[in-house]
Amino acid sequence: MSGEHPIVVTSLTKRFGAFTAVDSVDFHVEKGEIFGYLGANGAGKSTTIRMLCGLLAPSGGDAVVNGHRISRDPEGVKSSIGYMSQRFSLYLDLPVEFNLDFFGGAYGLRGAAFRSRKQEILELTGLVDRRHSTTGTLPGGLRQRLALGAALLHRPRIVFLDEPTAGVDPASRRDFWRLIRDLSEGGTTVFVTTHYMDEAEFCHRVGLMVAGRLVALDTPAGLKAQFVPGHMLSVTGRDLAGTTTAVRGLPGVLAAEVFGAGLRLRLAEGEADPGAVRAALEAAGARELRFEPVPATLEDVFLAVVAGHERHQKDAE
Amino acid sequence: MRKLYRFLVRVGALASKETIHIRRDVRTLYMALGLPVVLLLLFGFGVSFDIDSIPLAVVDHDRTRASLELRRTFVASDDFRLVALLDDAEDAEPLFQRGRVMALLVIPPGYERAVAHGETVTVQLVLDGTDANTANMARGKAEGMALGVNLEIVRAATSGVVAGAPLGASIWTRFNPEGRSALFLVPGLIAYILAIVAVLLTSLTVAREWERGSMEQLFATPVGRLEIILGKLLPYLCIGLVAVLMVLTVGAWVFDVPVRGDLTVLAIGSFLFLIGMLGLGLLISVLTRNQLVATQAAFLSSMLPTLLLSNFIFPVENMPTILQWLSRIIPARYYIEVLRGVLLRGNGYAELWPDLLVLLGFSALMITVSAARFTRRLA
Repeated sequence: MSGEHPIVVTSLTKRFGAFTAVDSVDFHVEKGEIFGYLGANGAGKSTTIRMLCGLLAPSGGDAVVNGHRISRDPEGVKSSIGYMSQRFSLYLDLPVEFNLDFFGGAYGLRGAAFRSRKQEILELTGLVDRRHSTTGTLPGGLRQRLALGAALLHRPRIVFLDEPTAGVDPASRRDFWRLIRDLSEGGTTVFVTTHYMDEAEFCHRVGLMVAGRLVALDTPAGLKAQFVPGHMLSVTGRDLAGTTTAVRGLPGVLAAEVFGAGLRLRLAEGEADPGAVRAALEAAGARELRFEPVPATLEDVFLAVVAGHERHQKDAE
Repeated sequence: MRKLYRFLVRVGALASKETIHIRRDVRTLYMALGLPVVLLLLFGFGVSFDIDSIPLAVVDHDRTRASLELRRTFVASDDFRLVALLDDAEDAEPLFQRGRVMALLVIPPGYERAVAHGETVTVQLVLDGTDANTANMARGKAEGMALGVNLEIVRAATSGVVAGAPLGASIWTRFNPEGRSALFLVPGLIAYILAIVAVLLTSLTVAREWERGSMEQLFATPVGRLEIILGKLLPYLCIGLVAVLMVLTVGAWVFDVPVRGDLTVLAIGSFLFLIGMLGLGLLISVLTRNQLVATQAAFLSSMLPTLLLSNFIFPVENMPTILQWLSRIIPARYYIEVLRGVLLRGNGYAELWPDLLVLLGFSALMITVSAARFTRRLA
């Protein structure tokens, strides 16, 4: 099994004192896959990624990364993977090119082969013109690309990216994800954590972390089908505030949430009566109603999963 | 071989990165090279135990040619400066109280007559002991002068035929005959300054990487602890050695500190001392992970012991036993021994090998401990 999959995780656990940051997580990642790890801050995403990179020793369970067990051979893991940490961690006072030189040296690379690899990376990340700039003068998007480039210098078969686009403008985020897709198409396995739900749509498979547990794992479409069945309806109009309670009890209405100035309803296929919904809303005082079908997003999935988890917690107490 | 090659590549990468950091942050260079020289000049000129002209009051009850001669002997040297000629010793009290005079010479009545008859006569010198060091020096000088006057009198009495000195002490100060405090201070200062600068230089670097978050990125690469330690150490070692050369040059040039012994001993001693102190800085940095705390710890661990327990200014032999024991673990003590030995006493390996050995042990210990305490995993 470990021969086929670049990452195999079994009962991986990390405790800090009495606090369990990662609670017995199991999954595997396919070769060339973009594997998204989704969760709120503090859900255990970074802790998982740090364990998989050999930076943190697990308290229980184990994982095999590129054939190296993280508990036994963290050094073997380190030399075979690329890692981009959550905080920008290259040297801001050094020129772009020197950051690459340094990390190349840290992986033991040098000579003509390294120079041509560096050129490749500069081209890949679109930093050829900025190679002599001081890193601190680059805008956020370029910095992130440089950090990714530095993590790719030694041609790792897996890259771990911990919130790579945090605090980067939307256009740069799109460019960055284009890079990630190119990597994946070239056969590199990409393990990426994020809390941007729109980014998670680009992943082949998404794992959802809630309070240290991996509560769901599937393709984005599979997750939507499982957690937000039915179809989504966006409701706009006037005086919609406070009308969610009026529709929540209706037959076939699976969920009703405030969304901006309007509402989002999720209706069970074939069971809900749009006319009854409209009547109930108007009875609650809303006017000039417009209904529009919208696709479900991973955000809906995330909210449904978290709500389900909280209900589960309450039941347990 | 391949392993060694990779090891060297990684150390080289770290060292050249550190060098570029230093080149880009000129403050580090100012601190490393400018500060020692400035401190040496400040301390060298400012801290001096040489006394020139102690303010002296004289009460001359005799008022004869002989007593005038004695007064002139005191004032003729630059060591004393006559500020008041009083009628009564009581009058000196307020002057002492206000610090206007620090010494009082009382010549008794009948001084000339007693001298002429070859009788013993006691001249009184009252000293302000507030500054014990100055008082001691003044006493020494006065005794020397009294001895000179005695000899003159004896010589005169034997009508020019000297049949050997009848009595008196013969004092010979070796290595620093003029008793210049610069000669005593500069070697100690070199150690003191290097200790502070070396510990400060490296104590910041590892802490800075933790604070910036670049340490996490570094840990995700196959770079080893020893490689990080060596890569951080080498550039600062080079800077430190340049600082040693500069300080020695300034010492020789400005303060006329001689170099009488074996320079290779000095070079090896400086090299080992620097590695040890840079290693101490690294250890602090590794343990604190915080630049502010690291700076404070650096000052405490380098400045105070080097100032107080290294024989720099305060002789260790005069300290309580427990402090004497404590001083044995202060590396600066051994380095100062090497510096004074080579510069002033003309020592070589034969005399200084034990000190070099201690410095070697210290530097090896610092590197080993900081590499061992350097956890490459987070949290």
